[in-house]
Amino acid sequence: MNKLKLLKDKKSELDEVNKEFLAETLNGSALLHEALSTFIDDKLKKESLEGVIQVERKCDLLKEKYTQVLFKDKRALPFLVEDRYNILMMIDTVNDKMEFFARFLEVYPFKLYKEIKDEFKNLSSSCAQAVEELVNCAILIETDFDGAYKKTFEIEEKKREARTAKFNLLGKLYKMKDDPTRVYLTSKLVTYIYDIVSWVEETSDYLRGLIIRYPSR
Amino acid sequence: MALEYIVIVFLIISIIISFGIGANDETMAPLFGSRILNMKQILILAAIFAITGALFLGEGVAKSIGDEILLLDYGHSGINPNAVVMTILISTAIVLILSSALGLPISSTHATIGGIIGLGLLLGGIDGVNWSTILVMSIWWLASPIVGFTVTYGVVKLLNKQKVKSFKGFKDYERSENLYSYIILIIICVTAFSRAGNDSSNSVGIVVGVGGDINIIWLLIITGLGLASGIIVLGRIVIKNLGKMTELRPSTAFAVQVPTAAVMLIGTIQKIPLSGSHLLVSSFVGLSKASNIPMQKGLWKIIAIWLLTFPIAAILSIILYFPINFLI
Repeated sequence: MNKLKLLKDKKSELDEVNKEFLAETLNGSALLHEALSTFIDDKLKKESLEGVIQVERKCDLLKEKYTQVLFKDKRALPFLVEDRYNILMMIDTVNDKMEFFARFLEVYPFKLYKEIKDEFKNLSSSCAQAVEELVNCAILIETDFDGAYKKTFEIEEKKREARTAKFNLLGKLYKMKDDPTRVYLTSKLVTYIYDIVSWVEETSDYLRGLIIRYPSR
Repeated sequence: MALEYIVIVFLIISIIISFGIGANDETMAPLFGSRILNMKQILILAAIFAITGALFLGEGVAKSIGDEILLLDYGHSGINPNAVVMTILISTAIVLILSSALGLPISSTHATIGGIIGLGLLLGGIDGVNWSTILVMSIWWLASPIVGFTVTYGVVKLLNKQKVKSFKGFKDYERSENLYSYIILIIICVTAFSRAGNDSSNSVGIVVGVGGDINIIWLLIITGLGLASGIIVLGRIVIKNLGKMTELRPSTAFAVQVPTAAVMLIGTIQKIPLSGSHLLVSSFVGLSKASNIPMQKGLWKIIAIWLLTFPIAAILSIILYFPINFLI
């Protein structure tokens, strides 16, 4: 009975920490999107970038807590432990990449080229939507394999959109006859946002693999 | 030699035999493979069931060893039947201990029959062994792995179908695996308990057969301790090796263990000499094929030791017979 209770406690604590972690990830993505929107309008809201950095720190603490709960009871049935751990680590990397981008944007010394603002907005939206879909997918995988499976394809679609936007942006940037440092750093800005989307897709591919693998194991 | 000294010698030999049998006891392997319990917990559980199983089920009844295979005329040839039984049991124990030290599960029945064949050939020549019985048994030895593979393959396929149909997410999966882990824990504990009772009769029987004033309770406890120490010292290697043969979950451990236990039960009722080790290993292969999970390296080593069990046990019994016959 005690073991059953222990397992139940562990499960609910795990669920709570996971929910909080995913909510923070979503929050970080929203803050980043907000910062990017203000950046596009040449009125960068640095507090939003600070918010992204704070979210990453909070997520690190939650990750630590989650890992401890996950591995707390050695006797507990460990199926899914590794997979859950991998999912958490992969989503945490999304947070890391967002935080890295926020720090980069904080020190980026230029305003955004007018010619690329629309395409940049598209890239920023794809990034925010991809992270949102990933969080939804991670929630759905707990109770609805079919729903989560569909989400992975939506994420793939977001990545395609982001890739198109990235190369359109790079195409325009490489044709510019301007200060090479500005061109180079702007291209880095584009690449770093795309890196977030690319990692989100990689994480969703991992989730899709789990969904396919699990029922037949 | 005074009777009490003979009893002590037989008691020591009985402990060696029970140690050898315990050392090759792979019953707990699915628990380790599916990581329901860790090795320490498994060994504690195995030791408890080895002792209690021996104590409550090992009624001290010696099995008739080799009655159907050996065609020896004990009355006229002057062959000492006690020396024959003792040689067979000791050679079996040595083969079991050696294979356990290598982490390889073998059939104790095969080791015993290997020893019987060796002695039959030594003491009665080609006519000393009932080859027609051996032939019938051989068919079942070949059939054991096929039966284990087929039954587990079918059960795993059925389970997978049911999982695809009814599991909507990780939570369903977890709930189901949770349930399976308790079921498999109970099944394996029952198996370990009954197996300890069954196995202990081999080693208890030889001491009881000597006669004298023996406290049967203490004898059963000592046998149980022998089985338990066999599992703890060498059995852990076999459990680890077998448990890691392929990826196991509580549900797949169930798919491996239950058909094995069911087929073994049918075999026992029908008096078909199936090997539990062979059934279990082939069930792992069946699981691996049905779930497309790769097998770990080492399967060929196990198959090789299965084939070598007979000649090794036969040679060993031939070598051991002379000193044992001299001493008894």
